[in-house]
Amino acid sequence: MANIDKDELRLLVADVIELEPNEVSDTADFVSELEVDSLTMLEITMRLEKKYGIKVVEDELLEITSLNRVHKLVTAKLAAVS
Amino acid sequence: MLVPLKGSWALIFGVSSGLGRATARALAAESCNVIGVHFDMADGQQAAEELAEELRERGVEAHFFNRNVAAAQTRAELVPLIKELSGVGPRIVLHSVAFGALVPFVPTESTPKSLTAKQMAMTLDVMAHSLVYWTQDLLAANLLPKGGKIYALTSSGSTRVLRSYGAVSAAKAALESHVRQLAVELAPYEIAVNAIRAGTTITPALLKIPKTPEVAERARAVNPHGRLTTPEDVAETIVLLSTTDSSWITGNVIGVDGGEAIVA
Repeated sequence: MANIDKDELRLLVADVIELEPNEVSDTADFVSELEVDSLTMLEITMRLEKKYGIKVVEDELLEITSLNRVHKLVTAKLAAVS
Repeated sequence: MLVPLKGSWALIFGVSSGLGRATARALAAESCNVIGVHFDMADGQQAAEELAEELRERGVEAHFFNRNVAAAQTRAELVPLIKELSGVGPRIVLHSVAFGALVPFVPTESTPKSLTAKQMAMTLDVMAHSLVYWTQDLLAANLLPKGGKIYALTSSGSTRVLRSYGAVSAAKAALESHVRQLAVELAPYEIAVNAIRAGTTITPALLKIPKTPEVAERARAVNPHGRLTTPEDVAETIVLLSTTDSSWITGNVIGVDGGEAIVA
């Protein structure tokens, strides 16, 4: 599968967090800058799992703290499957 | 008058784990159908599907939904489905939801992060207020039949302090208050509402709380039965209390702990 479009991820994350896509920068920390709580983190993760057909484990929840890191994780997971 | 649960419906929030799961099994054993809500990632989802299949093998209907129980959208989506599946609505509603921020109010050396306002609000919303909003929507849709029973699970954390448990303690205190309020407001409908205060029980939720082994060891040592509460202990109580149409036991915090709380 080709590279995942970062803006596609941005739209998904922004939708869950209920912010405008332009408020979700590549590097903004979800927890400390965007006030995302753990329930919302779980929702983001589940939406990613559903959309991209990937499986995320609990430890990885701690890793996906910015859009860049989400992109890295999703890309890696898809590369592993294909 | 004791009433069999065969053919009735139960709605369980937090069905995939711990006390919710044990109660689903105990109710299915009495031929009660189960509608469950849970919020799990891929592995947890698979386990939930397996549980649903296990319940069906007992001969009951089991319909599970992987959704955020605290979201208004979830209620809007599921209430019509509950009506479609059960007709009259669930005889038993169990609120068995553990999802909150386990963070101290004040930073310490070992835990430099302290609770944010957003985390506090989320914890209260999920673990307490969601009970009220679901009850409102179910009642408005005529899905809480006479003789019905609503149970919320609380812990001794509502009146005792555990490290990093502050937001959850507040949620349990609020939950118990909501139970009392709902009990009074639903009495004219002959629906009973009670909080079940389970003793220390080893569940995936408990294991998320800091220092679980010490907490569990202490509880095991004081429990007059010489053991910890199991999910089955709690599930059995819920089944037992549900086998009457009477709403006379209502508005209580009912201890199901083998005597753990009363030992000095």
